[in-house]
Amino acid sequence: MASMTCDGRPTREINAEIKRLLAEGHAEIVVKNPAARHNLAVGVVQPCTLIFEGSVGYYCGGMIDGPHVEIKGSAGWGLAESMMNGRVVVHGNAGNAAAAAIRGGSVIIHGDAAARAGIAIKGGVVLIEGNCGYMAGFMGQKGVLVVCGDAGEAFADSMYETICFVGGRADDLGNDAVVATPTDADVTFLSELMVRHGVKKHVKEFKKIVSGRKLWNFDKREWKTWSEAL
Amino acid sequence: MSDNARVLKTSGTFTPEVIEDIQAKADLGRYRIRGFGALRERRWPTFDDLTFLPCTLTRIPLEGYREKCSTKTVLGAGCAKPIELDIPIMITGMSWGALSFNAKTALAKGAAKVGSSNTTGDGGMLQAERDHSKMLIYEVLPSRYGINIHHLRQADGIELTIGQGAKPGTGGLLLGSKVSPTIAGQRDLPAGVDQRSPARHPDFLGPDDMIIKIEELREATDHKVPIFVKMGATRVFDDVKLAAKAGADVIVVDGMEGGTGASPEILQEHTGIPTLAAVCEARAALEDVGLYGKIQLIIAGGIRNGVDAAKAMALGADAIYIGTAALMALNCNKPVFVEDYKALGTEPYHCHHCHTGRCPVGITTQDPELMKRLPIDEAAERVANLLKAMTLEIQILARSCGKSDVHDLEPEDLRAFSLEASMICGIPLVGTRHVFGGGPGWKKEETH
Ligand SMILES: Cc1cc2nc3c(=O)[nH]c(=O)nc-3n(C[C@H](O)[C@H](O)[C@H](O)COP(=O)(O)O)c2cc1C
Ligand code: SF4
Repeated sequence: MASMTCDGRPTREINAEIKRLLAEGHAEIVVKNPAARHNLAVGVVQPCTLIFEGSVGYYCGGMIDGPHVEIKGSAGWGLAESMMNGRVVVHGNAGNAAAAAIRGGSVIIHGDAAARAGIAIKGGVVLIEGNCGYMAGFMGQKGVLVVCGDAGEAFADSMYETICFVGGRADDLGNDAVVATPTDADVTFLSELMVRHGVKKHVKEFKKIVSGRKLWNFDKREWKTWSEAL
Repeated sequence: MSDNARVLKTSGTFTPEVIEDIQAKADLGRYRIRGFGALRERRWPTFDDLTFLPCTLTRIPLEGYREKCSTKTVLGAGCAKPIELDIPIMITGMSWGALSFNAKTALAKGAAKVGSSNTTGDGGMLQAERDHSKMLIYEVLPSRYGINIHHLRQADGIELTIGQGAKPGTGGLLLGSKVSPTIAGQRDLPAGVDQRSPARHPDFLGPDDMIIKIEELREATDHKVPIFVKMGATRVFDDVKLAAKAGADVIVVDGMEGGTGASPEILQEHTGIPTLAAVCEARAALEDVGLYGKIQLIIAGGIRNGVDAAKAMALGADAIYIGTAALMALNCNKPVFVEDYKALGTEPYHCHHCHTGRCPVGITTQDPELMKRLPIDEAAERVANLLKAMTLEIQILARSCGKSDVHDLEPEDLRAFSLEASMICGIPLVGTRHVFGGGPGWKKEETH
């Protein structure tokens, strides 16, 4: 295990140091005092463990493929955006657009997530232990979004095939979001997910929300829905 | 005139086109969507409102055969790996999805043959296009379809797309007939959906966030390749400065004449400003912040030939993107397979039916049978020829104006035919010595 500090260093230098340590063969790196710098660990494409001992800024773990990134603090906007694979864990809260457009892997937020978490996800799993802000899951294409707490306004709006689960309240669903009945397989998947990621919050029952598929194709009979969605 | 002859009166307001439009919407129950770009009569000033003033006695022209006129074009000159092109005409981003595999591959091959570049599009990278291109620009769009760090890293430049000239402020569209299982797989979508892309990026909103986004793209590509920012032409003077402030190496401005695979018709016709005005505002913006010549400017939108390109370059563009013209080199609107144009309710030279996925010449389709009508190698040859011809057109104009580098063309080489063009470009009206209005530098006039 290697250790490094961000003190007095710009993002570019920090990321270069991470890459240098990885090239030297260190599989686990502890990064001290990230001080909410933006763009940390962007584009790391090899299996490794990166532990940030503090909060990080925008796009931490953006476009990664493979690493396990752990943030012992909170994260700014666009956490792990466009990630291909790997795991990003935030012990605190996450800013807007957490896990935006991820294509695989998992993003685990133990605190709350702000607006538009899991926006346009194309695969993978997003797990939020707390609550999430408005428009989470917007235009979700594939993958799974799990919110153990309450979902904000316009949840799961205009989705394709993303499947959402909410443990708390989901009073304000977005356009074309419909409530479905969780299957036995869903229940098993969720309880295993909780255990695997050490979620402490106890959820009695998850609601399942999927796309009603009314916005998948233009249809004049659905004018009312389209007038909001177009 | 016989007694029976009648004079047909046509409403100037409710023209046959307007009546047809109303009735089509009465049937559809939504706005109309189509491909191609603006179709209505161009009442605004265009590059046709300008003429070149070649050398006579005040200046000395260059000889075509002997005297060199460089066309080498460098974008992102300050980057570790700038984009070096042999010619200033590049192939713009058109998605694999809007375009067929054959069309994408032919464009890549054609551009590579003449030392130019091509750009991915709203659907991610097609491996064949990377394999065949010399220089590939990778677009990062709001939809993030097919976004892939490994593809990003293979690119010679990254284009962060904020919008397009045909439909600024809105997202992409790909109607279900084109969302084939292959395209759906590439975009992580269910096959056959009428796909709408978001208008905004999922993870940033304004220009201040974009500064961080651009830094992210640099981190992802080890600070090597140029970062472009592409926008539809609206408030160009301000938008260009914001993109410059955000750290773009290259700024792409796409005028309202710009093409599209499918968009709401009203946006194509009634939003944005013309390419001629866009290039003038863009140049003025860069001059205003002292970055003209440091940040490169690419202009797109309705560029038809080397003349339009040369005029845009004289007004301030470093390079030109072509889309529709390149599709025409692939045979768009050519009078072949006429029956298939008719089946779409149109005819060669009038087709704008890219949105249907039934392109008679195999360009904007995902139908394997139609695609066969576009043999890649022959099509690539035609693309290369068009790029060569356009470059020669620019060179002959540049030489006649006494320039040994096409990038030396300047506003002084132009005169305006119309008052409006004079005002927009800040170029004297023919027959006068007067510049009517500001043109490039209008902001300076305003503040002095
Ligand atoms: C068929 C087609 C597909 C297009 N797809 C995209 C796209 O995926 N992303 C994008 O930024 N622009 C797209 N555009 C717009 C072009 O990049 C470019 O801005 C425009 O075509 C320039 O105008 P021109 O066609 O008149 O040359 C598309 C244009 C066409 C004609
Ligand atoms: S010929 Fe094909 S590419 Fe050209 S306008 Fe028609 S459908 Fe579009």
